[in-house]
Amino acid sequence: MIEALLLVLVCIIIGGLLSSLAVHLMPVGGAPAAMSTATGIATGCVMLMTGAAVTGLFTASTVASFWVTKPNVILVALSGAVGSMLMMGFTMFVGNLIYIFGAGIVPCSGRVAVDPITKDSQTEYKTPRTDGHGVPTASFVSGILGGFSGGFGGALIYVVLVSDSYAHFSVATAGIVAMGIFIANAIIAAYNIGGTIEGFHDPKFKARIRTGLTCSLIVSVLCGVIIVIAMLTGTLAGGVM
Amino acid sequence: MGEEEVKQEEKEEKAKPKEKFKISFDYFNESRLGIFALIIGILVAIFPGLPAFIKAIGMMIVFVWGADSVRKTARYGLGTGVPSIGVLAMGFGIIGGITGIAVASMSFGTLVVGGVEIAFGVLAGVALLALLGFVSGNLANGDKFINMKIPGLERGMTELGIAGTLVVLIETSIITGTYAITSVLPNVINNGVIAVIFIISAFAMLQPLNTCLGADERRGRTLLMSIEIGGIASIILGLVTALTLSAVQGVPLIVLGAVIWVVFYRAYMKACMKEAYAVKGTGLIKTLGG
Repeated sequence: MIEALLLVLVCIIIGGLLSSLAVHLMPVGGAPAAMSTATGIATGCVMLMTGAAVTGLFTASTVASFWVTKPNVILVALSGAVGSMLMMGFTMFVGNLIYIFGAGIVPCSGRVAVDPITKDSQTEYKTPRTDGHGVPTASFVSGILGGFSGGFGGALIYVVLVSDSYAHFSVATAGIVAMGIFIANAIIAAYNIGGTIEGFHDPKFKARIRTGLTCSLIVSVLCGVIIVIAMLTGTLAGGVM
Repeated sequence: MGEEEVKQEEKEEKAKPKEKFKISFDYFNESRLGIFALIIGILVAIFPGLPAFIKAIGMMIVFVWGADSVRKTARYGLGTGVPSIGVLAMGFGIIGGITGIAVASMSFGTLVVGGVEIAFGVLAGVALLALLGFVSGNLANGDKFINMKIPGLERGMTELGIAGTLVVLIETSIITGTYAITSVLPNVINNGVIAVIFIISAFAMLQPLNTCLGADERRGRTLLMSIEIGGIASIILGLVTALTLSAVQGVPLIVLGAVIWVVFYRAYMKACMKEAYAVKGTGLIKTLGG
């Protein structure tokens, strides 16, 4: 029993840290990106990350239902990661289609002079007085990595909560609790970013990631303790579905 | 500070003598509203046996408090938009609500005094989330951490944690009439009603400031919209309650929700039109008196 409680606590902390990392990796453009005057997808961190995480939870819960008892934790978490990556990939791809063929801009980074992956020069393609456009290669890869990290984290929390070897909540309880913890972490991370970020190559990422992960650690530990208290009551376990 | 604000608002009111319809939040400044809503919210939450429409009134008061907390933190600009803090409140609320219900379902979590059920256990969830909210407020505002420099963010996040949890608890008790986990799991969580609770409550807290924010935002007008969304939430909860409990509980809730929705929508629109410099109808929608 003690081992199961500790494992749930540790998995919630790891999941929280991964979701915070994921938000820092997202190419988020906010309102300026809607006018293609900033790099990234035209929405806030929270909306983007919640969308990706919920898709990840759907794939994870589908895969978790393949096992009658004791789902494989790593496999379910990985399937959540794949769901989130697909969601992020589609969002960025369709966003880029609209940016390129609709708005007629060239995706380029506003924060770095050379794309760290393709080594293409960026500065010539950037319209003066804007902060980059669209989703360039580095941001796209970063977004996919963010989807992997966030989906894995969210699905990890979900699977330890739903698995009958650990918390054994009902499917819906585990899903909504995993989403609650994910959102708390994602929003603290979003406040840390404070608006827009391009991905791992953005100078902001290096400057702020440590603070973000520290805050996420504290919030995740508290959330984990609260969930462990809920588990200790024993009333939620054996959730009949 | 609070009294000065009240006086200022009174002066503004006197400058517009033509205003007939007036619902004033002058007496309930931020602190008074917080204490009032906390007491009402806790009282409604620990008595799951109350009639549904009384609980709905309690829920609306907590909504107003949540919207007020969102207003006082988000008006300085969060950098991620107003919705983020309303969604955060409900993310906290879901964790706290489920923990509170789990504790209340234990043998010592609920007392029965003279046939009246008193669920003290839910207060555990409220207290834990107050702590979590306070810690995250300090993380977001602390010099060594994110350093957002928003005055009163610690207090705002604590209040949002409490308000979110109370809203989830009250809405659960409206739908099921009890905190017994055997009833809550099938009727609220497993059938997905919890997702509706999540988004409608988040909207009641974040939407008022999100629509009204700007240079001429006025607290009284902003909070009217929160009550209006509380009316819409009552209608939705009334439909769910009619299915889960009985029409006797559900129908008064729908009627209450409809009345509050119409009354406060009118009040809000009138306040907007009075305070606007000029109103010009487009002819597409028939505007009230415009």
